[in-house]
Amino acid sequence: MENVIELRGVSKALKAFTIDNMDLQIKQGFVTGFIGANGAGKSTTMKLIMNLLQPDNGEVSVFGLDYASHEKEIKDRIGFVYDSNIFYESLNLKDISRIVAPAYKRWNHQQFKAYVNQFELPLNKPIKKFSKGMQMKASIAIALSHDAELIIMDEPTAGLDPTSRRELLDIFQEVMVDGKRTILFSTHITSDLDRIADYIVLIDEGKILFDKPIYELQEQYALVKGSTELLDPDTEAYFIKIDRSPNGFQALTKDATKVKEVFGNHVVIEEASLEEIMFYMKGADSHYD
Amino acid sequence: MINLIRRDLIIQKFQLYLFIPCILFFIIFGSHLSAFFIIVFAGFFIPINAYSYDEKAETNILLNSLPYTRTQIIASRYIGAIFYMAVSIGITIVLFSLFNRAFTWTDIAIGAGITLAMFAFAFPLFYLLKPGYIGTAIVIGFILLVILSQPAITFLGEYLTPIVQFFASASTTILYLSSAGILIVLYAASWLISQMIYQRKAF
Repeated sequence: MENVIELRGVSKALKAFTIDNMDLQIKQGFVTGFIGANGAGKSTTMKLIMNLLQPDNGEVSVFGLDYASHEKEIKDRIGFVYDSNIFYESLNLKDISRIVAPAYKRWNHQQFKAYVNQFELPLNKPIKKFSKGMQMKASIAIALSHDAELIIMDEPTAGLDPTSRRELLDIFQEVMVDGKRTILFSTHITSDLDRIADYIVLIDEGKILFDKPIYELQEQYALVKGSTELLDPDTEAYFIKIDRSPNGFQALTKDATKVKEVFGNHVVIEEASLEEIMFYMKGADSHYD
Repeated sequence: MINLIRRDLIIQKFQLYLFIPCILFFIIFGSHLSAFFIIVFAGFFIPINAYSYDEKAETNILLNSLPYTRTQIIASRYIGAIFYMAVSIGITIVLFSLFNRAFTWTDIAIGAGITLAMFAFAFPLFYLLKPGYIGTAIVIGFILLVILSQPAITFLGEYLTPIVQFFASASTTILYLSSAGILIVLYAASWLISQMIYQRKAF
């Protein structure tokens, strides 16, 4: 399996935030969901991948190429969507496409027009008069119209109503059909990912806590509920984080099979949602995997 | 690269409609202004206006996410400025001729020289300043220009012509060549500095 993005030992110190010695691999041909709380480092990592920020140490390579000598070639093959509008807001979509199109070798105007029609976007209205959802769709239409192999999206569903979100997720699924494309998609709305993600990367305080196939997460991670009497230093070792209350404990484990074996019917084992995994992993002692 | 330069025209479509009326205003109502002053204004108009669009962090994120290198983005700014200045001055010359406004080639040379020198100082400063301050800097600059223009025009009216005449009679070609040389060095140095600043910028 080939990695389309690779970060090796990447460090970056910003004013209020540090990424230290980060390793990350994004697999080609899959949808990777990049999750973490606000301020966990998702956008910074995305910016490092886009070369908007340069690492203090370490290497970033995209398509196996480095930015120092292949910047244009790399970016020609990337479609990007950011969480806020980056296009000249006084311009209309037609003028924006006039600026963006000639930058790409493989801009496909027919494709662009098809998306504009599909999303019902006006071509002659200034972007600043677009709703948040329309701005996002405009951004996505541009990102998908130059035959990009890698699509990088920072919170593309943030601020969208449920209908628009669902619509977008359907489009991403369509885009993935040919199997050549890769999507890296950051979000804090984890329910978006249950539908489309193949891999999940969880980041917290600038550290990658895990990078796993989603089915593995669903199989291995579980929420365990039971009486606090069951807990002692030996049994606690099976859990990533434990919440205690007068009624008992609730904890996250990453070894559901083992817990079932050890505790049997004394505990209730439930499937953990991504949101619960994210919640319990945050602030837990480093359980790298 | 050409795409980046062409972009300046697309983003300021509406301001371009103002360009010719502005120059005409100066030609018709600014008979007290030296021709070179109008040339400086004309040469400055498009590149600085384009720049004010580019100060935004969002624009830099856009440009840097497209397949362009930072070197190209800076180069397009410096080459574009010369190109738009030349075209603007060309248009101004045509308007001068149409409206029988007197001017000399010296006016044009001095006007273009001052404009280029202004770009050379302004661009690196703008790349250094944080986004949002450039608009303020331009407004303050403009207010200063308005306040100072009257005394400056009186001063220039009194002294510039004799100065130009003095230089013109003194050593002509050598003088022009050396000022052109200084300008080129200044512009190139400015380009290099902007490039260094921009290369390190984080968006």
